[in-house]
Amino acid sequence: MGPSGSGKSTLLHIIAGIDRPTNGQYVVQGIDLTRLNESELAGWRNQNIGFVFQTFNLIPVLTAFENVELPLLLTRLSGRERRRQVLTALELVGLADRARHLPKQLSGGQEQRVAIARALVTDPSLVVADEPTGNLDSQSAQDVLSILQALSRSAAKTVIMVTHDPKAAAFGSRSIHLEKGELTG
Amino acid sequence: MSRPVNTGTFIAKNALRNKRRAALTILSVAVSCALLVTLLTLQRELTIPPESEAASLRVIVRNKVSLAQPLPAKQLATLDRIPGIVAVSPFSFFGGNFREETVTSFAQFAVDPARFQGIIVEGKVVDGSYEEFVKDRNSCLVGADTMKRYNLKIGEKMRFTSTFYPVDLDLTMAAVFQGTVDDRGVFFHHKLLDELLGDPGTVGTWYIRVASAEAANDVIARVNKAFENTSAEVRAETERAFQMGFVSMWGNVKVLIGSISTVVVFTLVLVTVSTMSMAIRERFRELAILKALGFRRRELFSFILAESFGLATLGAVIGIGGAWAFWTFTDLQSLTKGFLVYFQVTPRIMATGGVVAALLGIVASIAPAVAVSRMSVVTGLKTLD
Repeated sequence: MGPSGSGKSTLLHIIAGIDRPTNGQYVVQGIDLTRLNESELAGWRNQNIGFVFQTFNLIPVLTAFENVELPLLLTRLSGRERRRQVLTALELVGLADRARHLPKQLSGGQEQRVAIARALVTDPSLVVADEPTGNLDSQSAQDVLSILQALSRSAAKTVIMVTHDPKAAAFGSRSIHLEKGELTG
Repeated sequence: MSRPVNTGTFIAKNALRNKRRAALTILSVAVSCALLVTLLTLQRELTIPPESEAASLRVIVRNKVSLAQPLPAKQLATLDRIPGIVAVSPFSFFGGNFREETVTSFAQFAVDPARFQGIIVEGKVVDGSYEEFVKDRNSCLVGADTMKRYNLKIGEKMRFTSTFYPVDLDLTMAAVFQGTVDDRGVFFHHKLLDELLGDPGTVGTWYIRVASAEAANDVIARVNKAFENTSAEVRAETERAFQMGFVSMWGNVKVLIGSISTVVVFTLVLVTVSTMSMAIRERFRELAILKALGFRRRELFSFILAESFGLATLGAVIGIGGAWAFWTFTDLQSLTKGFLVYFQVTPRIMATGGVVAALLGIVASIAPAVAVSRMSVVTGLKTLD
């Protein structure tokens, strides 16, 4: 948690491997990510990280099914295996019946749930969520936070969420505060 | 039931997401390719005379001073004795306008009918009788294209007003020929022309058929040597070399058409690069998402390349196919009053158009691909926030 400009998103981007620290090291499971090149880092992200963005960031020309399937195009899974994993992920977020819908045919809450399914489909060990409820009404926000909480508790996923909303932060098992780029507690 | 997406579907959906822009891009490539193919075909039509196997056996003899200077008719006796010559006939250009025309697109030649068939061996009589042509001094042999164009019938009177000689011709169509590379010409008795001109004892050119293509160079040398140091020295050359001499009168048409084609291609490159850049810039954020999901630079470059290449190829297929169909099924000869006869869109020309379009697709994808590869995920995500 932290106010705007405190560095929450920057920290999250570094943790997720889409940004590099100006100095210092970032080591995950013995791998120094600061030493990886672009291509190696991309592969690491695909295998280890699931992203959930504030603005959903679904590809508008692809259906919910196809959006969730995107990260799997980089794997060696067969079409049948991909389909099974996509449907499992969509069922997990309660949207299996919306698989053929385009993003514009879904509500904001549903779009974010599709984005969560996309984040989960590769079975990553870490899910990072950048203000995932920032663009949602309270009911949809509640649904999304419940799913993320369930992921952490039942599916043993590490979920790191950035927010400035105390209600959203209450869903986490641990809160860390950031102020002007420094951890304050 | 949802089916797994594949890379091809993903690329196609991206390429066609803005249908109007995709359609306009495809259309601009199609129109430019059609224009390019048309220009290349025009260049070929104007600079490469049609060839036939029989043409490789023909040698044309003209006055060394100029084509406009006649040759003495008495040279025939000497030519008949030169080894390697199978047949020889006078060919004198009449340059007449048919009926009331101010410009007639087919040529008329005075020939010796008894020798003519030995020269133009590929031409076959398809209507009327060649014997009638030989017998009747006022008759003529007409090419099938001209017969069809003017809807002529055997026995029809044909009047020509010469722009070359101070005489007119009144001929009767005796036979129709077909099978040469240019089935438009009209041939009549040289004796008639001699009679009308008061028997000057001259011919315009000699057409010779040699025994084999290999013998042509020897025959040319012998003919040139036979009339060396006479009052009418000659220049013998193959039919192709003779035709290329006419082509050179067009000036440097090849460079002109080549320049226009280059401008067309350059404009096309600008249009396509601009369109692709716009299309990719609009999707910077999405491409950043793909990067975040683990797609590498080479995969994103492949997507952009395939999209650009696909649009260019589709445009090329429509443009080149359309140009081929249009020029193949249009009666261009009557449309241009005989100026353009064959206008054949050859496989080579179509392949050239295809290669240009393919290169265009590749070139157009380079700038946006470089921009995407340089873009960091974080910058890309912020682009349209």
